[in-house]
Amino acid sequence: MLPVERVIGEEGLTAIDGGLKLAMRLPWYRSLPFSVVEVGSLSIDGQDVDLADALIEYDGERWPLASNGERVDTFWFIRDSAFLILPNRALDVGSEHEVALNLFVSPPYIPGMKRTNPQTDTLRVAA
Amino acid sequence: MTTNTGPQVGVTLYSFTNEWLTRQFELDTLLAEVAKRRLGPNIEIIGFQNFKEFPDVSDAYAEKFKEMIAETGLNPVSCAINSDRFLKPGQQPIEDAALVEYHKRQLRSAKKMGFSLVRYQFALPVHLLPEIAPYAEELDIRMGVEVHAPMWAGHPAVQAYAEMYDKLNTPVLGWIPDFGGTASRIPESMLNAARAKGASEDLLDKLKEVWLEGGMSHEKAGRLREWGLAHGHAPLHIQAACLAFFILSNNDPKSWAALVDRTIHIHGKFYGVDDDGVEEAIDYETILPLFKDGGFTGTMVSEWEGHAYDARDAFEQVRRHQAMARRIWGTDVN
Repeated sequence: MLPVERVIGEEGLTAIDGGLKLAMRLPWYRSLPFSVVEVGSLSIDGQDVDLADALIEYDGERWPLASNGERVDTFWFIRDSAFLILPNRALDVGSEHEVALNLFVSPPYIPGMKRTNPQTDTLRVAA
Repeated sequence: MTTNTGPQVGVTLYSFTNEWLTRQFELDTLLAEVAKRRLGPNIEIIGFQNFKEFPDVSDAYAEKFKEMIAETGLNPVSCAINSDRFLKPGQQPIEDAALVEYHKRQLRSAKKMGFSLVRYQFALPVHLLPEIAPYAEELDIRMGVEVHAPMWAGHPAVQAYAEMYDKLNTPVLGWIPDFGGTASRIPESMLNAARAKGASEDLLDKLKEVWLEGGMSHEKAGRLREWGLAHGHAPLHIQAACLAFFILSNNDPKSWAALVDRTIHIHGKFYGVDDDGVEEAIDYETILPLFKDGGFTGTMVSEWEGHAYDARDAFEQVRRHQAMARRIWGTDVN
């Protein structure tokens, strides 16, 4: 998979306070405002994950995924991972799972372009 | 200091997108690698690729960047800024006043870091130029709009800009040709990458056919998508094929002659230079003499875009591209 296509971050999947934290990379060549990035879907072991209470964590800040489209002036630096927080989804530390994540990106200077970026990987839950 | 009498070669760090995204280099070590391989000294940097603080770079970071530049002996010629107008997908573009301020923020950052010009984009509506050009004059930094596929010298948007340039008559505004707008063919390496993803020959044949037709990139992508879905092709194969519409178009290479006078910088877009020093899709033998003969004395930065679909050694590709430019332009090029 090319660097510009990758959406699952190097930091992988981590267990946190009864929930999970998944590292994501921005599948583009430059930083973009979070408002143009959409979490299209996430499944774990083939089951769709309900993202209604999910949060985004980036650079020490957290906000509801549902309000991500309003983040027009918060830039996701292309080198950084951002994290998807799933507060109510727990998995055992050390267990392995197939994670499928799809991010949609609409570059804000190219009208009409919306890219789909699916990636599936097997991740071990870190402590 | 000597005065340039002809075109110069340089490199945009965009060529090293794969190496950057995979964290093989930090900015200081990437600049050092470019200097060590003698691919500069003139460089371009995309603000939103290499500077985390963009669009509002602090004084402290600007100083740190200047130190990196001083240590490597490189020359920060161009900072690519973005005309991000569509911040909410599917909704109205942002207000004009916000877009003007967005440009000013980036201009201030570029100036503070020592760049002598910025690349901007046609997503900036032409009627806003009278508000932005005086600010660039005040900062003493030039602005070149990137004439990027599907644009070319004869495109209506370029002509509208040319009229405004005539009206404003200021030395701070100019063109930055991107040779992807006058490609002779879709690079075979790009087609091979689509094949490797599973795209079939009939989809690629249709791609080549639609690519030669008129229209904006997203219209052509829509046409291929519609045809592809109707013929049972997978959406991801269609997406891989559609990349070509957004980065390449098939206009006349000689058409650049009309823009030479106001060209302040060039994106030497390329995909692969072979062992004989020939680019696989863009007719450099025709294009480059137009700029030398027309008196261009700025920099063409080598812009390898193969990273959009493959993982070849970017440093080697840039070396080959610069060697090709020197061969065509003559030995007096830096």
